[in-house]
Amino acid sequence: MLLSVEHLDKSYKTGRRSSTQVLHDISLSVNQGDALGLVGESGSGKSTIAKCMLRLIRPEQGRIVYDGIDVVNARGADFRRFRREVQMVFQDPYGSLNPRMSVGELIGEGLLVHKLAANAAARRERVAEMMQMVGLTPADMDRYPRSFSGGQRQRIAIARALVIGPRILVCDEPVAALDVSVQAQVINLLQDLQRQLNLAIVFVAHDLAVVRHLCESIVVLHKGRIVETGDRDAIFDAPQDAYTRALIAAVPTPDPQAARAHRARRRQSPATQA
Amino acid sequence: MSMARLDLRSPVDTSGPTPAAGRPLLTARGLTVDMQLPGKKSVRIVDGLDFDIRAGERVALVGESGSGKSVTARALMRLDRKARLSGELTFDGVDLQRLSEREMNRYRGGTIGMVFQDPMSFLDPLMTIGDQVAETLRIRGVGRHQARRRALATLDELGVDRAAERLDSYPHEFSGGMRQRVVLAMAIVAEPKLLIADEPTTALDVRVQEQVLDVLDDVSRRRGLAVLFITHDLGVVAGFTDRVIVMYSGRIVEDAAVDDIFAAPQHPYTQGLIQAVPRIDRVSERLFAIPGAPPPIFARPEGCAFHPRCGQKFAPCALRQPALEPSGAGRVACHLYSSSER
Amino acid sequence: MAATSRPKATRALALSPLEGFVLALLLLLLAMVAAGPILAPDTVYTSDIVNALQPPSAEHWLGTDDQGRDVFWRVVVGARATLLSALLVVTLYSMIGVAVATIAAAGPRWLDETLMRITDLGMALPSMIVALGLAAALGASLQSAIIAMSLTGWPITARILRAVIRQTSEAQFVSGAQVLGVSKWRLMTRHVLPNSLDVLIVKWASDVSTTVLVLAGLSFIGVGAQPPSAEWGAMIAAGRSYVATAWWTVVAPGVAVAVTSIAFGLLGDIIQVRNDPSLREA
Repeated sequence: MLLSVEHLDKSYKTGRRSSTQVLHDISLSVNQGDALGLVGESGSGKSTIAKCMLRLIRPEQGRIVYDGIDVVNARGADFRRFRREVQMVFQDPYGSLNPRMSVGELIGEGLLVHKLAANAAARRERVAEMMQMVGLTPADMDRYPRSFSGGQRQRIAIARALVIGPRILVCDEPVAALDVSVQAQVINLLQDLQRQLNLAIVFVAHDLAVVRHLCESIVVLHKGRIVETGDRDAIFDAPQDAYTRALIAAVPTPDPQAARAHRARRRQSPATQA
Repeated sequence: MSMARLDLRSPVDTSGPTPAAGRPLLTARGLTVDMQLPGKKSVRIVDGLDFDIRAGERVALVGESGSGKSVTARALMRLDRKARLSGELTFDGVDLQRLSEREMNRYRGGTIGMVFQDPMSFLDPLMTIGDQVAETLRIRGVGRHQARRRALATLDELGVDRAAERLDSYPHEFSGGMRQRVVLAMAIVAEPKLLIADEPTTALDVRVQEQVLDVLDDVSRRRGLAVLFITHDLGVVAGFTDRVIVMYSGRIVEDAAVDDIFAAPQHPYTQGLIQAVPRIDRVSERLFAIPGAPPPIFARPEGCAFHPRCGQKFAPCALRQPALEPSGAGRVACHLYSSSER
Repeated sequence: MAATSRPKATRALALSPLEGFVLALLLLLLAMVAAGPILAPDTVYTSDIVNALQPPSAEHWLGTDDQGRDVFWRVVVGARATLLSALLVVTLYSMIGVAVATIAAAGPRWLDETLMRITDLGMALPSMIVALGLAAALGASLQSAIIAMSLTGWPITARILRAVIRQTSEAQFVSGAQVLGVSKWRLMTRHVLPNSLDVLIVKWASDVSTTVLVLAGLSFIGVGAQPPSAEWGAMIAAGRSYVATAWWTVVAPGVAVAVTSIAFGLLGDIIQVRNDPSLREA
């Protein structure tokens, strides 16, 4: 077990004396090489869990343990190791890259921070390697993010996260903002990289079809609570929970006849509106 | 809240017969949209579109970034001042380009309704939803009480529960799905003949999306309302539309009935698009991905805009733009199907 | 896969006619500041009562003032006093404001709160009153006016920047850098600050515009530069009594103040328009 989340609670203050609890008793674990999908609608808390895992926000209760390190309280060498081995790719390709740094500087920053390259030349070499690995042209290293398309920016973000050799990559809706034809490219890339580097991936998404494709284990979230967990086939072929079933049923399939039949069925038995 | 009272007494026809399905409502021939970008050069965003929308028909306009689908939708309502239109654009026999701004304004919201992606930015946070829905009617000269009654009726029709009590609530008190219904109500309360919906469900959760589409389906069938649905989501398209128009880099590449286009897509781009969508009902080892990316609008390739990414290209593709021609029951712009190329 | 080309890179440098005009004007003003005193004839500082209050002529392009000095050259020389002072004041207090905001943002909560409260207090002090106070204490001079304005100008800058920093810190790329393990120092200097200072550049230009007016105003009421200094405000004050008979002694420096102020205001506009993100997308 590489990363485990135990009984996580998280609340946000909504006024001087009131607060909303966004996570209730969340527990899950990720093993080396695993791909875990965290699915849910907006407000389900999935992104909050990801941010807690990366220690961007602090939970009120619970523990997060990465390879023996208590993430919430880590300091010094332990904390530095945690930062090196657990990385994240964010959702918005247009907001996740510093517009004032060149692509080379962005991808190489991790090497600089963790002192993983002997000098600037070695850094550039490593950056070039990484760019090729994600399907970018190394010659573009000195350009700025604004010259790149959404899909390319996500590749840059992935390269930036992977250059320091993490063991877990947390992806928070990395393809939601991309065009369909480009989404497939990035998903394939993540799949390839996961295999090549034996990465563990935590994939946060609302798109169930993408999650089905990429992840073997799934955790379904609803309003801050875990509603169901299981492996891919179990969840999609035989969902136990009513919410899970409703979620799966609501995913539109590119099959006109099936879609029309669905709607006719729904009309006949008006389902519970949320 | 006082609004400038324009005297726009366009006849809001509630008693007339629904238009005969089948007759073309909106006709575009050679529709071209050029825009002046800040760098001063004028860019052709949409290049020579030919299409029809019939009364009561549901048409999807599908495309990715740079396809020009949103610009097209906005051009139909002449929303962008900076856009220069050319070609033919007729609605119910009226040449939309020759209307004055005032006359065009009568069409907006009245004959042609429009719904956008983000309901929250469309709604005035300081006006009650009842007032906002009624506003479309008030500016057309409908009296306060009648407007309010019709607003209520429309909200009811769209499945906003306890609409009567919530007429005086404010947008922030509603969930995303409900807000989208309010925005829809605003768009259809004046009984338009065509509704243009620009990615109305993209920002919504799947279950809410399903509900909004069900409601839209209901309403459009009941009223015989034609819908132009702009989206990049093929799954949504499959369940809701009668016909699909696929756009790529400012041009129409395929136009076919929804069943046909999913069962047997003709244009390689359409084929690639459908294959690239991850399916929840099947497991595949690897997703099919169209290589490359859509070209930027100021740097279109010579010949067929899609050819650099096409796996089926041959000699004429880099040289000549394929024309949109009938093929089977639909139309395709591809040299593979062009009678003159084979 | 290569990046999309950037044809707009060179086009970004092209200037519109208005921009060209403003830039030329600013260069002229800067030339006056730099070279004015060097090029001006010595007679600018000496009295020649015989030739006092002469109207504009071929010899004295803008006439002479009440001491017989050439008005044109005094205006040119005065640029250094007025404009350079304004530039100095604004740059100085902008730097103070940036420092305060950065320390408040980077430091512990209590420091942030304390500094922001001090800033609030600072904002409550009107620059004119402080200038009058300092003039009373240190004697009226351009220096005391400069000190007064530098002390009262920084709070608004600090306020604005603190708010912008707060906003920028929420950006995803900042979270990304945090996750990478970037130190707080580097986070601030490489990520947050460079993306927060844009607003201040526009403010700087606009502030120079106002400060020119205020400095001239302070000199006009006798609290700033004193005659016989060739500072524009002082010149207007000296020429006040002659408005009806020798209008050029007042109009010339007055126009100089107005034009300088407007030029910097337009500079601010130009920078703002050019910085607009909607123009940035390739």
